[in-house]
Amino acid sequence: MTDSPREKFIVPIGPQHPALKEPGNFEFTVDGEIVTDAAVRLGFVHRGIEKACETRNYTQDLYLLERVCGICSHIHATAFVLGVEKLAGVQAPPRAEAIRVLAAELERIHSHFLWLGVAAHEAGFDTLFMYTWRDREVVMDLLESLSGSRVHYSVNVLGGVKIDLSQKISDQIKKEMDFLEERTHYYMKVVTTDDTFIGRTRGIGKLSKERAELLGGVGPTVRASGVKRDVRVIAPYSGYKDFSIQVITDDEGDLEARFVVRIKELLEAYRFIRVVLDQLPPGELTTRIKRKIPEGEVISRVEAPRGELFYFIQSNGTEMPARVKVRTPSLCNWGTITDVAVGHKLADMPMLLVGIDPCFSCNDRMVEIKSQSTPSHIMSWESLRKYGIEYYK
Amino acid sequence: MNLSLHPLILLLIFPGGLFLMNIGLLYEWIDRKLVARYQNRVGPRWFQPLADTIKLLAKEEIIPQGVHKGLFLALPVIAITGALTAAVYVPLFGFRAVYSFEGDLIVVLYLLSMMTLCIGLAGANTLSRFTIVGATRALTQMFSYEAPFLLALLGPAMAAGSWNIGKITAYASNNLWLILAQPIGFVVALVGLMGKLELPPFDAPEAETEIVAGALTEYSGRGLALFRIGKNVEFVVGITLVVLFYLGGIANPIEFILKTAGLLIVITALQSLFARLRIDQTVGLWWRLGALMALLQLLAIIIGKYLGEFLR
Repeated sequence: MTDSPREKFIVPIGPQHPALKEPGNFEFTVDGEIVTDAAVRLGFVHRGIEKACETRNYTQDLYLLERVCGICSHIHATAFVLGVEKLAGVQAPPRAEAIRVLAAELERIHSHFLWLGVAAHEAGFDTLFMYTWRDREVVMDLLESLSGSRVHYSVNVLGGVKIDLSQKISDQIKKEMDFLEERTHYYMKVVTTDDTFIGRTRGIGKLSKERAELLGGVGPTVRASGVKRDVRVIAPYSGYKDFSIQVITDDEGDLEARFVVRIKELLEAYRFIRVVLDQLPPGELTTRIKRKIPEGEVISRVEAPRGELFYFIQSNGTEMPARVKVRTPSLCNWGTITDVAVGHKLADMPMLLVGIDPCFSCNDRMVEIKSQSTPSHIMSWESLRKYGIEYYK
Repeated sequence: MNLSLHPLILLLIFPGGLFLMNIGLLYEWIDRKLVARYQNRVGPRWFQPLADTIKLLAKEEIIPQGVHKGLFLALPVIAITGALTAAVYVPLFGFRAVYSFEGDLIVVLYLLSMMTLCIGLAGANTLSRFTIVGATRALTQMFSYEAPFLLALLGPAMAAGSWNIGKITAYASNNLWLILAQPIGFVVALVGLMGKLELPPFDAPEAETEIVAGALTEYSGRGLALFRIGKNVEFVVGITLVVLFYLGGIANPIEFILKTAGLLIVITALQSLFARLRIDQTVGLWWRLGALMALLQLLAIIIGKYLGEFLR
């Protein structure tokens, strides 16, 4: 042992790591098992979707933006169509709006079930992981019978929706909601009473209400800290104007609270879906919308399963948008991880990471840093390709 | 039952050596399959562990930079040797132990610990940060379960008044099943075995979501295959020990299959019931609860023995 200052022992999680389903890099400086510093590095899966939007027309963008995320695909499309409809001065028919929020809530159910499983897996509780994912299949099948696809449902079109609900499907959804409700009550019991599981969640990653507000976190992550921040309620959009939904909050702010909040949101979603199905307004599914959108800018905010999703759309009066800016909820929540990580055990890190339900590829953006000392240069496609071939030779 | 075969055959082919390794693979399969069924999965087919092993043995072994090469290659061999040597002193499948002497229980327990020691050393030998954390955890865990596990196996030994596995087995099969006489000891032994084998929920040393594969992250090919075979052998030997001591011994192969299978069902159920314990929780559990329980059991045995003599 020497007297020199101790070298930092950094445990890297990612970009490739069994705990992460998508690439991201987290460096945890540890002292034994205790984490003393945490850093996040993102940007491994930048896909240039925002830029690609500018070279396609609004209808094509709809399908492109739906592929921002594989889990919350519908909500991205919803945010985009709501923005574009606002720009065009078009209001989708009430039945279409109701179907939009119905699909959004079904999506929230499958996203929360997915999260529940992933979080359980990070805690080494694979049985819960397998059980939740089995039950998630129920809602995936519902979405398939509703729209024909399990992942990218393509419910939205500009000016309305393209799917309709028959009485048969409506009955089927209600039946499955009953089943899922029963299962969800069971999972609630598991995550709040299982001793080993509570040992991994209770009191871990406590985020106070003040810090949550200061860091600007969104979604269930901060709702678990008692922040009443839910776009569906504070700025109702689409069908949420007609059908009200409750904000679920918890005051604990630890990982257990995030489980509880998400599970309660599931229960609230079942109630909401039943109400929408019962009071589904009759009428048209679409209204006409022009291909060319009038000049202007719009901000569209919706509540994705992970939190507030923000779209900025700028139109220059042509068929293609001039700028589409997407800010996904995961981006707002990274700060909450690095804020609470210090002082926890290394074993808690994967659970903390997953606690915000991160979606890496959705939030990766390119940042151009203009520096005086190292001049940036722009590569053409050809030279980039050549560089790539040379690099891997 | 006794076998009159050439000692080398006894050692290398049956019931030790080759046969033991294959039984180990079978037990790994049963373990994986049962856990999968408990978790509502289909699970692997019966030859999957064998196929995995053959594949690993056939693959290239990558020796990472910065390791002590000799140690890196020797550790898997030492680990599997330890496990196989331990099997020599244990009466497997209802046959008498190949070799035995007074005090072989202690030797077996130490040989079984060789595996964990080798894993710890293997982790510390490489430069990867995951392996170092894994090695630390593996050794920390060893220091927590080893003493209670030893105490739990000491109970039957004290009751039988011998350190010889054969004699303890004879005592266990002639008397009331020790699971009834010493229930606490049985629980500690069973859970200790799970800790020893790093089965969930005691799999913090190889928690994949935190430190990839723990101490063995850098191992591939032959080395990894040897570690896995060694672990399977340890699994069989460990289960056999617990059955011998607590479930009334093993008189013939059928009894062996029935009793170990029963124990395996319990172990797999325990594996799928809990979330993974953090390493500090594991240590806390063992020293606060496990050691205390084992000591209590020991105390009960001592008092029982004295009382028995007093009453007589």
